[in-house]
Amino acid sequence: MSRYALSLTRNEAEAQDLTQDTFLLAFEHWAQFRAGTECRAWLFTICRNRFHRGRVRQERQVATDDADLESLAAAAIHASARGAGIEDLFERDEVIGAVEDAVAGLPEPFRDAVLLVDLNDHSYEEASAVLGVPVGTVRSRLFRGRRLLQEHLIAHARDAGLIPPPHDAMAPNGGTKP
Amino acid sequence: MMPMLDCDAVMRQLWDYLDGGLTPERTAAVRAHLEMCDRCYPQAEFEKTFLRALAASRREPTDPAGLALRVRRALAARGFAPDRG
Repeated sequence: MSRYALSLTRNEAEAQDLTQDTFLLAFEHWAQFRAGTECRAWLFTICRNRFHRGRVRQERQVATDDADLESLAAAAIHASARGAGIEDLFERDEVIGAVEDAVAGLPEPFRDAVLLVDLNDHSYEEASAVLGVPVGTVRSRLFRGRRLLQEHLIAHARDAGLIPPPHDAMAPNGGTKP
Repeated sequence: MMPMLDCDAVMRQLWDYLDGGLTPERTAAVRAHLEMCDRCYPQAEFEKTFLRALAASRREPTDPAGLALRVRRALAARGFAPDRG
């Protein structure tokens, strides 16, 4: 729970407050807990809702819920990376160091799915219970979130000069040297 | 009998495969395809390194025991008395 709170707030003191608030709210509203449901998911839902309370909610950007399309888009990203000779991109320290900011910059629905599944080891089913959406929606949001992250990290690496811009990547030897 | 999968079918199921979300039969079929496909195998490795980078960004709370104590005290102040069976 505290790790999830930390992944939401990215600040240890705020995460501690959020964790404490979560348990206090659960205690105060224990009567609302439905016996037979997953208590852990209930706590994560409270934590998430408490975190988002009072924050400006981002507009839901869920244009398509087609996870298959996202999987194929991921294949296109890999083909592009392979063509540019940067298949090892996600093993580079500079890129790994940019992941946390990239996750924080994801639109909320996709960030929620990535935080629960990829950073807090929830199954699709557990994330579905926390977020109150069908498993298929978790899956498509997760895949979209991952694709957005990959695109962001590739752009970050390009901006940082870690990889050549697309047209240079296509030129043999990176172009003519002076 | 294990189904034969083409590249397109494997691409569509790759995230599910890496997340351990496929049935045992389907997992075996995807694995068998990856082992012999020089197009899909590199992509699977690429996605694995991405997921590792993502997991590496995870931060752990520095004082979970202290936080647990703080939460227990806050709950006790609100009247929570856990069973001590």
